[in-house]
Amino acid sequence: MAMKSAQTSFRDRTQEFQSVVEKLRKSHSSGSGPNGQSSSSKSDEQRSAVALQSEFNRRASKIGFGIHQTSQKLSKLAKLAKRTSVFDDPTMEIQEMTAVIKQDITALNSAVVDLQFLCNNRNESGISSDTTSHSTTVVDDLKNRLMSATKEFKDVLTLRTENLKVHENRRQLFSSTASKDSANPFVRQRPLATKAAASSSTSPPPWANGSPSSSQSFPRKQGDGESQPLLQQQQHQQQQQQQQQMVPLQDSYMQSRAEALQNVESTIHELGNIFNQLATLVSQQGEIAIRIDENMEDTLANVEGAQGHLLKYLNSISSNRWLMIKIFFVLIFFLMIFLFFVA
Amino acid sequence: MALNLRQKQTECIIRMLNLNQPVNGTGTANEEVYKILIYDRYCQNILSPLIHVKDLRKHGVTLYFLIDKYRKPVHDVPAVYFVQASQQNVQRIIADASASLYDSFHLNFSSSIPRTLLEDLASGTLNSDSIQRISKVCDQYLEFVTLEDNLFSLAQKNSYVQLNDPKAGDREIEEIIEKIVAGLFCVLATLGVVPIIRCPHGGPAEMVASALDQRLRDHLLSKNNMFSEGGNFVSSFQRPILCIFDRNFELSVGIQHDFRYCPLVHDVLGLKLNRLSVQGETGGMKSFELDSSDPFWVVNGWLEFPEVAVEIETQLNKYKKDVDDVNRRTGGTNGAEFDGTDLIGNTKHLMNAVNSLPELTERKQVIDKHTNIATVLLGEIKERSLDSYAKKENDMMVRGVIDRNELLGTLKGKGSKMDKLRFAIIYLISSETINQSEVESVEAALRESEVDTSAFQYVKKIKSLNVSLASANSASRSNIVDWAEKLYGQSISAVTAGVKNLLASDRQLALTRTVEALVEGKPNLEIDSYLVFDPRAPKSSSGGGSSHLKGPFKEAIVFMIGGGNYMEYGSLQAHAKCRQPVKHVIYGTTEILTGVEFVEQLTLLGQKMGLGNTGAPPSSTH
Repeated sequence: MAMKSAQTSFRDRTQEFQSVVEKLRKSHSSGSGPNGQSSSSKSDEQRSAVALQSEFNRRASKIGFGIHQTSQKLSKLAKLAKRTSVFDDPTMEIQEMTAVIKQDITALNSAVVDLQFLCNNRNESGISSDTTSHSTTVVDDLKNRLMSATKEFKDVLTLRTENLKVHENRRQLFSSTASKDSANPFVRQRPLATKAAASSSTSPPPWANGSPSSSQSFPRKQGDGESQPLLQQQQHQQQQQQQQQMVPLQDSYMQSRAEALQNVESTIHELGNIFNQLATLVSQQGEIAIRIDENMEDTLANVEGAQGHLLKYLNSISSNRWLMIKIFFVLIFFLMIFLFFVA
Repeated sequence: MALNLRQKQTECIIRMLNLNQPVNGTGTANEEVYKILIYDRYCQNILSPLIHVKDLRKHGVTLYFLIDKYRKPVHDVPAVYFVQASQQNVQRIIADASASLYDSFHLNFSSSIPRTLLEDLASGTLNSDSIQRISKVCDQYLEFVTLEDNLFSLAQKNSYVQLNDPKAGDREIEEIIEKIVAGLFCVLATLGVVPIIRCPHGGPAEMVASALDQRLRDHLLSKNNMFSEGGNFVSSFQRPILCIFDRNFELSVGIQHDFRYCPLVHDVLGLKLNRLSVQGETGGMKSFELDSSDPFWVVNGWLEFPEVAVEIETQLNKYKKDVDDVNRRTGGTNGAEFDGTDLIGNTKHLMNAVNSLPELTERKQVIDKHTNIATVLLGEIKERSLDSYAKKENDMMVRGVIDRNELLGTLKGKGSKMDKLRFAIIYLISSETINQSEVESVEAALRESEVDTSAFQYVKKIKSLNVSLASANSASRSNIVDWAEKLYGQSISAVTAGVKNLLASDRQLALTRTVEALVEGKPNLEIDSYLVFDPRAPKSSSGGGSSHLKGPFKEAIVFMIGGGNYMEYGSLQAHAKCRQPVKHVIYGTTEILTGVEFVEQLTLLGQKMGLGNTGAPPSSTH
């Protein structure tokens, strides 16, 4: 939000407050002695409660911080996954990051489960119901955030899988043409590929030729295929000069791609498991569209209704003379029976 | 930059929830702090149209309580208080602090806390030795309720009665004016602008305007003012204009029946704080929320009711078509080839279909909601024949005359007691001369239907006292009309204007007309007599180069003292939108009243004046 630095619409009165306090303190300096003892006795009995609570708070804030860091890493990963091209593919990086994030998420998941355990156990030791609901809400909130982080992770991985698929398609198309037209069209080289003239037999840039077989379906990729053959050529020039060795290179490349794909799919599967686990734990239901004043009015109406009914009943009981007479008669009746049959 | 009041208020509240530290880009702090929110009733009304529970959760608020409720301790958690600055609230805060319910207290008062209460707070917490728990004390200047982007209300009850009470003393009136000025100051502080103030002569409007001017001047002179709008933009093009009016300026709008969707829902079904409770179709009360997050409401809220019904119909058909579409897509691919290589493609189709399901469900919910509301409305309209009331009142206001038989027929016909009373009062306001016999027959008809006529008597009295109900003739002007007005006063202009307006389809309210004239800044007979206040200008230079103060403005804030309603708001917005260039108008009032509530206030006034009724007690309709 771009707020002008000088524009604030609230006034901080804390300084004023502190000065008032100082003034009063000076004028009351004699009478503040005995107050100190009562406060210390109060704090003794609260100390254990406070200790437990602060333990809870510490862990909750650690988990929150961890989730925040994980989402930052996720956004970096998303950026990496988006910008992959056919060859400049930071596969190693992506795989590393994926593994790291997966570990993080699993660790956070178990931490949240522990936190919930702590919260449930603590509820037995005489703590106010407000504290309980506070803790429960905190745990729920953390679970929600972890789940959204997991969802994001899943989306990123799906995106990555799609990209890999697209690249593989492209590679298949072009590698299939390479195997077909090995003889003829490589004579026509582009001026940029002069370096490749020496190794023209070794590095067929099938994208460079307007080869009729495959290119119609990928007209755009021809465009950025211009720069890629150059890279490809340089790569090959650095490594091999033989066309025979091209094939194993392509092969190992494809293998690594296949491995990456399989990794991604298994990760998605594991994530799915975590997802299910979280989903059973998270209660997302009632808070979607609750307004602040909603429950208030309902309970108020209910309580008033109950009160009215109770008052009516009280009136009917208290002013019911007939009830007393009836009870009296019943008592007399039993007394008579008792007297008649026993005496 | 258009002023969006709702957004600004929401930002302020979010900043307050963030413990008054600036909110960074993602809207969350690095170190998560979970807090508890405590408010009082007034602030609950402020918060509920703006923030829902899930937004609270997003900003780390776990629990939220009313300050009056009995609360239990939650240790080691900061608490954010958002309350009005009153003695009672301060006592409760002291009690909470002494009982150490929470770890630290961040106190935010909805307007400026007076020095005496601050000292009370200090001494109270000092005595209980809990002073270290109070970490912040802030004045938030948020003491107003924003219902829509451009609509706010100060939620001050019965201000019309108090201001027009014949027995009201000077001190009481001053108190009320103070409260209104405080509320307006909060609005201006939140928007961060110092407007140019214009108001008609006399009455509460002038008092409020001059008091507000004084307050703004004092504030701007103090060193820590909140209105530093980047430099010294004295050019009036950047500053908005604040127009203050009194309800007596145009009494009819508060009483009339209107037939557009939004005013109907408010008037008939009782829309409060954007929330509505109606009888569900299957019995039992249901409550709905109608605000800017409801797409149907945003688009169709200002249409006439029959058109709304048509719209619901079209939306329903569109929805059904979309649902069939989705069914076809997912149902079809099951039989298609399911080859392994295209696994992802298939799942993508399925995922798309599944993802579109929530959106479809939401649309269906919105359609259902409006169908429900429209059905209930239709029932009421039929029962009370509200459409004929609205039409006849409109005719009366436009033409100024009504056929006597029609008048009496309506009074004896369908409609609740309040409807008839409102109709009679509109007749009184719209007729240019008081035809004694007609009035008596109207009164007789009212008494027959057992309607409490105090309000009628009151309006009759103030009309006879020539309090200017300026908009009895609310049509567009022309030269003839101006000349006629100068010579003969308003009565003739009513007739000529009425003739003119037979051609105009949409009646323009006097308020809209006046605001347009003020915003345009062209010399206009009506508004030239209006007062001008400019809090930024030094006191000495009045008169002299103040032409820029009347120049065309791009933005306007219109404030109505004594009670406003959605009809005024709607007509102002409609008018602002079709100007070239588009102007931006914010409408505010002391409270938003339905016609029934306003007439009840008039009844109270009539009774106070001793113009009592001859029979039935005031009917309570709601």
